[in-house]
Amino acid sequence: MIPHAGYEVITLSDRANAALPESLWLSIGYMLLAVASTAAFMSVLGMALVYVERKVAAHFQCRLGPMRVGWHGILQSVADAIKLLLKEDLVPDRADRLLFFLAPAFSVLATLLALVLIPMSPTMQVVDLNIGVVFIAAVGGFGVLGILLGGWSSNNKWSLLGAMRAGAQFVSYEVSIILSLLVAVLFAGSLQLSEIVQSQADGWWIWRGHISGFIAFIIFVIASTAELNRPPFDLPEAESELTGGYHTEYSGLRFSFFFLSEFINMFIASALGATLFLGGWMPFHIGGLDGFNAVMDLIPPGVWFAGKTGFIIFLTMWVRWTFPRLRVDQLMRLEWKFLLPLGFTNLMVAACLILTDSYFFPL
Amino acid sequence: MALINPRLGKQTTQSIGGLDIDVTVAPRNRTSSSGFVNRTIFIFRALLSLLKGMKITFGYLVRPSTVVTQQYPENRDTLKMFDRFRGQLYLIDDDNGYMRCNGCNFCELACPNGSIILKSRKNPISNTSELDRYIWRLDSCTFCNACIQACPHDALGWTQDFEGAVYDRRLLVFQLNKYAGPPSIAIKRAEKKGEGVEELKATTIPRTRYEGKVPLAGSALPGVPALGTPSKEKL
Repeated sequence: MIPHAGYEVITLSDRANAALPESLWLSIGYMLLAVASTAAFMSVLGMALVYVERKVAAHFQCRLGPMRVGWHGILQSVADAIKLLLKEDLVPDRADRLLFFLAPAFSVLATLLALVLIPMSPTMQVVDLNIGVVFIAAVGGFGVLGILLGGWSSNNKWSLLGAMRAGAQFVSYEVSIILSLLVAVLFAGSLQLSEIVQSQADGWWIWRGHISGFIAFIIFVIASTAELNRPPFDLPEAESELTGGYHTEYSGLRFSFFFLSEFINMFIASALGATLFLGGWMPFHIGGLDGFNAVMDLIPPGVWFAGKTGFIIFLTMWVRWTFPRLRVDQLMRLEWKFLLPLGFTNLMVAACLILTDSYFFPL
Repeated sequence: MALINPRLGKQTTQSIGGLDIDVTVAPRNRTSSSGFVNRTIFIFRALLSLLKGMKITFGYLVRPSTVVTQQYPENRDTLKMFDRFRGQLYLIDDDNGYMRCNGCNFCELACPNGSIILKSRKNPISNTSELDRYIWRLDSCTFCNACIQACPHDALGWTQDFEGAVYDRRLLVFQLNKYAGPPSIAIKRAEKKGEGVEELKATTIPRTRYEGKVPLAGSALPGVPALGTPSKEKL
């Protein structure tokens, strides 16, 4: 099935399993490492992404962005995080307290569960489920549950409206996102993320699948931007209409949970796009050109993954700071009248390509 | 498409109100008409316009010279305000250091909220009216520019000084004239006539920054009438 299985995938859960017969403590140590590294990665990456977003946004708008804290404001995110931790934690009067406290936890939990599946390099992955793509799509729905609960329990009309918009948006665009994920899954013949990466050893699906892979990638980027509630699809938290949307009533630590999960979700969506369409940690290979492939192998897989993910993150930021926000009806029209028919057609075309083995370098 | 190209329009003549008038009928919504091909062209044009927008913002990102933000306290020495910035009002002097203002009072009449208070006096030599005190209240000024537009002698201007913040509101009352006495035009006229220049110059009294009490409630003070009193009742 896989022509060049040059890389051996060893996940942290594999290591913990392997260590279990010999030493229980070593196994527990691996588990703790997985938990600690995921949590640390999440918080550090969140702060870094906030800084990058602010800097990129500033320069897209002829500004400079944070410049005071540290060299070119590099410590601004740290200062903001400390400020958020020290802020008063307000709970609105007559709010549903239990759900109000649970909502940010749901959001962060969904983000964490998706993050452990991302293959960052052959050795940097916590769990490698054989239903990886389905799992990530399913867990994404858990995140929007957090948003809905947050909006509902706040006892605030803006929060409720924002949450309802988020729910409608998620349900609509999830269809398109699954259709575009299915194209990559069809090409790779597997739902396991590491196998999807390894199936791209001869070339990435974005260009091996003729035009089909490219269209699937574009649909994925648009639909994931909409699912992340990022501009130009940021209706759930449209400042000019809903003050803050679903997190209007949240402050301090709880707000930072929502904020963090939003930015890490952006990373997860970009990493998923890179994994499915741009080859994940797999270096840029062209089937048959062994010399060229050997040169590309000199760059370690982790760097390839970071580069591809960074490219998609930059793309979403670029879109965010260029286009104005859509109206609700325009948003729905784009999905149901344009992206959905396109996605279905694209899926049929991809299936035909696979049946006739007419894509580049068939497996 | 929002923009209409008149060359694409149909040139006809219509009878309007009994007159034959040449009319260009603008093409209506050419690209979004029905049909698969037209629809596809419309979508591709829309995508192209999106890419155009992205190209513009990318140009801003890669060219640091487009940044307009000023790092203010650091570049304080080199920062130059643009010419049309309305900083603070000042009286324009001619080359010899004599003001152009002759106390004609137009600016005070033009001021919509009484921020300018003029006091004029009779010159003891020439027996003409001239400026004694020019008091400008920054705290109530709205920078509407009406005084400068009203000035018939171009004697008023804005400085580009933007650091006007003070800790006491009473410091926002300024006396703009440096002396009380004849304007530059009166001195020039005397020079032309060749007599009485030194006597005229001797009538000037130096004026410094406004030092009197400030009527924050608008009440009258020596030399400054109450806010809202007609200018005829000036002290």
